[in-house]
Amino acid sequence: MAPAVKDEKGGKWSSDLVLDLYSNLLTEMWELVSALIGEAILAYLFTLAIRKIGEKYPFLNSIKISEDGVSMEEVKQDYRTVAAAEIHRGFQSLINHLSQLFSALAEGVINKEVFPRVFPKFKEADRIISQK
Amino acid sequence: MTLIFKNLNVLRSTINAISTSIEVKEIVESAVNNLPNLFDFSSFGMFWKEDLLLFLYQEESCPPSFTQEVLKNMVKVFSILGEESIDVERISVQAENRKLRPRQMMMDQKPSLKSHLTLPLTVEGEILGCISLNSDQPNAFDAQDLQFLSVIGYQMAATLKHFQRLSSIKNIAIYDTLTGLFNRRYFEERLGVEAQKSFYGGTPLSLVMVDIDLFKKVNDTFGHTEGDQVLCRISSLLKSSVRKKDTVARYGGEEFILILPEAGLEESFVIAERMRRLVENTVFEIGEVQVNLTLSMGISNFPSHRAKSKEELVKMADQALYDAKRGGRNKVCIFAGKSSQWTVPT
Repeated sequence: MAPAVKDEKGGKWSSDLVLDLYSNLLTEMWELVSALIGEAILAYLFTLAIRKIGEKYPFLNSIKISEDGVSMEEVKQDYRTVAAAEIHRGFQSLINHLSQLFSALAEGVINKEVFPRVFPKFKEADRIISQK
Repeated sequence: MTLIFKNLNVLRSTINAISTSIEVKEIVESAVNNLPNLFDFSSFGMFWKEDLLLFLYQEESCPPSFTQEVLKNMVKVFSILGEESIDVERISVQAENRKLRPRQMMMDQKPSLKSHLTLPLTVEGEILGCISLNSDQPNAFDAQDLQFLSVIGYQMAATLKHFQRLSSIKNIAIYDTLTGLFNRRYFEERLGVEAQKSFYGGTPLSLVMVDIDLFKKVNDTFGHTEGDQVLCRISSLLKSSVRKKDTVARYGGEEFILILPEAGLEESFVIAERMRRLVENTVFEIGEVQVNLTLSMGISNFPSHRAKSKEELVKMADQALYDAKRGGRNKVCIFAGKSSQWTVPT
């Protein structure tokens, strides 16, 4: 696993920046999709996706899901030393898997709402990582 | 705005109908009766995992090929969500065709599944099944349809979970947790019903009280865990020896009781003797030790013994059991009066 590096400007770990970015994205996704299918179903889907993708990216297993939403506090505390690129790949896989689940349930109806929010964040994460 | 209000009212009455349903099929019916006022669709299905049952309501002109497509799609989605593969062949489909669409929106000649919304029925992180709204038209559903369907799905899941809980409470109330036989409470209730039928209808009714001979020795020698296993094994032997209409219950400890409706003395004796021999000829393996066990049994019968109440019938069977024990065990005795001797029909 590649070591984490500090961001040039703020002296903040680049992993922190990527974690913040995905934390915001997951919260945004939660708000958006829970309005469409409700918290209980969404919590079920998130749990399913984390369990699956967490096999390859164990840090994802520290994301806490409840009907109140997504909490990344534990991930931020325990995994800030994981390489930003690894965090980026983990979240990308998680979000891709979630979008496959959304698609299995409702074809394009959910993803149509979610996609426009996701891609800018993926790009932003790419930018943070390439800055090192 | 008027349309939204109208839809919300339909949604409210749908939820109300679902929540007041008293069986699984009624839940689906309650939903499907209101759905045509909310969505334009070709079929609506609910898959109930516990019974591997799919309720499917579809447009009158839906051909079997469309039904199959919907079934496969629902199973596919459920398998992804439930992380378990389900064999389509094992699912019983209860399909009903009815008018779901306005006349001007007839289905194609050879319709195929073009769009769907499928949602899991989840409660407290558990998946109970799924519901699916299907159409032969492409892009038939939008975000608002998904919102409405999810609200309906929530209520269906909550009501189904409620049913599950009730059924599990009912099981606790009537079954013995160790042996899976009926418990004493249920026996009393059942005997009340059967005794009333017999006393007023004049049909025969027999009781057989059963006790495992020297069972204390099993517990003392091998321990209670092994003793419990023997109790379970004997329970299934008893259960396998009776008729469909008979009731086998655990009366307490190593005592069992059987209600044999419409069985005269002779027939009851044949059933009891069959059980006695079956247990006598069974070798019980306890750890590495092989053990033989026997049963003592007492029979009472209405009208032969002129019992005036169900309590008296139980006492008579108990007295006959006592006689069987006193007569040397491994016997079936028929009640023969207060200071009876054990007797068997010839």
